[in-house]
Amino acid sequence: MNKYSDLPIKLASSVRSMRDFLDLLSSHDQCITWPDPVMPEPDIREICVASGQDVPGAPAILFDKIRGYPDKRLVTGVHGSWANLAILLGHPKNTTIKAMFYDIISRWGSEKAQLPRVKPDQAPVHEVRIERDINLYDILPLYRINDFDGGYYIGKANVVSRDPNDPDNFGKQNVGIYRIQPHGPDEFTLMSVPIHDMGRHMQAAEETGKPLKIAVMLGNHPAMAMFAATPIGYDESEYSYASAMMGSPIELTESGNGLDIQAHAEIVIEAEYIHGRREFEGPFGEFPGSYSGVRRAPTFKVTAVSHRKNPIFENIYIGRGWTEHDTLIGLNTSAPIYAQLKKEFPEVVAVNALYQHGLTGIIAVKNRFAGFAKSVALRALSTPHGLMYLKNLIMVDADVDPFDLNQVMWALSVRTRASDIMVLNDMAMIMIDPAAVTPGKGHHLIIDATTHMPPDPIGGDVEIVTPPSGPAIDALAARIRALQGGN
Amino acid sequence: MALNCPRCGGDKNRVEHQGKEDGQVIWTVHYCTACCFTWRDTEPALSIDSTKRRKVFQIDPSHPERFGVVIPPVAR
Repeated sequence: MNKYSDLPIKLASSVRSMRDFLDLLSSHDQCITWPDPVMPEPDIREICVASGQDVPGAPAILFDKIRGYPDKRLVTGVHGSWANLAILLGHPKNTTIKAMFYDIISRWGSEKAQLPRVKPDQAPVHEVRIERDINLYDILPLYRINDFDGGYYIGKANVVSRDPNDPDNFGKQNVGIYRIQPHGPDEFTLMSVPIHDMGRHMQAAEETGKPLKIAVMLGNHPAMAMFAATPIGYDESEYSYASAMMGSPIELTESGNGLDIQAHAEIVIEAEYIHGRREFEGPFGEFPGSYSGVRRAPTFKVTAVSHRKNPIFENIYIGRGWTEHDTLIGLNTSAPIYAQLKKEFPEVVAVNALYQHGLTGIIAVKNRFAGFAKSVALRALSTPHGLMYLKNLIMVDADVDPFDLNQVMWALSVRTRASDIMVLNDMAMIMIDPAAVTPGKGHHLIIDATTHMPPDPIGGDVEIVTPPSGPAIDALAARIRALQGGN
Repeated sequence: MALNCPRCGGDKNRVEHQGKEDGQVIWTVHYCTACCFTWRDTEPALSIDSTKRRKVFQIDPSHPERFGVVIPPVAR
């Protein structure tokens, strides 16, 4: 139940497709149509970057006057602001990040997936079918996202694949977001690594010589875009997870090459793995705000394309933050770390890993005794995500909202001693950390900004002011926002 | 006149697509079959003029073994 109002939550649960969501966003002034003609480069990039300056409230932007692409439509920034995420989760658009974090936590573990089936000949995604003379450049309004990208990337696709060794297992069918670089009219490279589910499928196909067919879904149910990147178990279905998290159905149908796809996706590209073939891929401006270099990546051949009439190509701006990527995956990066920590340390109150996929994280914990928070921090570094991503970790007390950076800076200012800083040298680190001396290896930093507890002496004659807090103050803050008319 | 790839300088290029409005060509997208670079002839010079591109982004595709491989193929 939405504690502010039950109106938006009803609307959000009625969303069946990205189009429905764009209508919902528009009704809240959170989706605009760009009024002027734009060149693919640099106009789209510049508008996306400018929109990223308003992280709380930026709208999705629909482009329908792209020079040279008459009748084509592109949308960016669908998940690009906290307001848009709040509407997706069924809340007023000025809901705090902390409230959305706890909402996602409360949905965690729901098993109420609803995945109704639609016959392929009745599925909107198959309204238009292309099986010959396929040219991705003709179907999609493609453009260069960052100046030095190697090509015109598709950055927000949901890619479906089955385990070549267990193709009938619905749970092992993977849906993930992987960057795609078109190479010619009907070929593309797909970037994945063996630890990804998709990478496992490619590796299995390579080892066995079995075919690997995939479906690249563009313009997806907004819950799929948001939750497909959440790390869940290998044999868990992303469709089930996204539906359960949304509390609403996601309608599925079958692609021409036998995969389960969203019946209301805007565009689906069907493709087949080309065994043994590798093409130059990259650079691509990635989420740390740096380019990943050129490598040789696995290649796929497009076999067919289905799309809705007058389809909308959904893409993302990604690069130096803040970008849509950060909003899209931030809360779903934070929530699993919280859930894993909470099992052993119920004192953990909240986890903010919004910054560059968790390269910097802030954890609020009920401190128990001197040094306790440091041990919780070390446990965070041994979670699956923390291992490679949590480079800088700031520990704050439970009375600090880790999503409010003013409060975090207060804790750093008044509760940190230089001896509260720990540096762990030569640890595992993601390959694309721009600060790495050696890619794949780096230092982790823990700053304990919690208050000092016995047996540690507190020091001088210090008493911290205790302002009123809790649900009553949160309700007053929500009321102040509502009185501003931001609903 | 041969068109050279802004990234590798090679001339093994093909036209992928032309954007048209009312029959007029607005732009042309090219693809370099040597280094796999894609470009549109209307892009800012920083991206498509080899004299203005940052040198660090130029590549020599004649030695593919110098580039990392994502999921190395299985030898058969």
